[in-house]
Amino acid sequence: MAIRILVVDDHPVARKGLKTLLKEKSDWEVVGEASDGLEALDKAESLQPDVVLLDVTMPKMHGLEVCRRLRQKIAGPEIVIVTQHDSQHMMREALDAGARGYVVKSNAGRDLFEAIDAVSQHRVFVAQARRDSITSS
Amino acid sequence: MKLRILLADDHEIVRRGLSELLKAHEGWEVCGEASDGREALELAKQLKPDVIILDIGMPNLNGLSTTRQLLQHDPNFKIVILTITDADQVIREALDAGARGFVLKSDAARDLVSAVEALQSKRMFFTPRVNDLVLAGFLEKGHAISRNEAPNLPTLTAREREITQLLAEGMSSKEVASLLNLSTKTVETHRSNIMRRLSLHSIRDLVVYAIKNNIIQIEVPL
Repeated sequence: MAIRILVVDDHPVARKGLKTLLKEKSDWEVVGEASDGLEALDKAESLQPDVVLLDVTMPKMHGLEVCRRLRQKIAGPEIVIVTQHDSQHMMREALDAGARGYVVKSNAGRDLFEAIDAVSQHRVFVAQARRDSITSS
Repeated sequence: MKLRILLADDHEIVRRGLSELLKAHEGWEVCGEASDGREALELAKQLKPDVIILDIGMPNLNGLSTTRQLLQHDPNFKIVILTITDADQVIREALDAGARGFVLKSDAARDLVSAVEALQSKRMFFTPRVNDLVLAGFLEKGHAISRNEAPNLPTLTAREREITQLLAEGMSSKEVASLLNLSTKTVETHRSNIMRRLSLHSIRDLVVYAIKNNIIQIEVPL
């Protein structure tokens, strides 16, 4: 299934790494990149991606605030938070902000494809360990 | 012959991004990737890369400890530290550990190639923000000295300056001896005299002294 993806991270190396990973899926297209929260909002507006891969700690606007604003729009994109924070608290905040996916950068190779697949079908994705901790709490 | 580079970072996304950057440079190859410090140690021993790029914040064994252990195993390893923070203490520790390059992850797309090129030519590399901090620190120390009575600073002989430069640039005593046609014992005697006369206690102190006194230059990207 063709999926149009916007990549948002303030580190150029991280954006490059994400794009390299995503190239493995021939029918997925990276339609744009943004390096801060405000640029992410602009690009989401102009490019109308299906999915936004969104870092949390960014200049100009925090990723979770970007997430809230994007999810307020009718037919806004689905959002996967891609972050270094392997924290249940952060994950809950991300889901509360409207993200459907939460991927920790150290596990991106394992989880990113499944996350994008899931959210593009409007399903939630969190890594198994976090899923277990949610259901047990 | 290709320049062989070992990459170590616990984030696969970052390793992929760095790998793409480096592979685009003709004559370079990424010979291995590690996701923690211990794996980096093992791979470095097996693969004997020309340059090693280490994330500072890796699990299991962090980048600084990995640097120390790598250099204990083989002082000829050339190491670039990658970090998200340019805190003064982190810079000092990276130099103390023996790293020859220091690059901020946020600047890696711009600076990493220059860092590897510098280390390939046996020069050091600091990302510009770090370079500014290092120089600001030296200027501050310089002003502090001139505000007080200027102490009687010891001077080095020409030979001692020569040896100071080569050691500060990362050569071992054996390499310096070979270059200058001296015995290793003679070089080590000079080294001890230099350290004692200048009241230096580590190679980091020697490097700092060499930079401050214009004995070596730091590579700064344009």
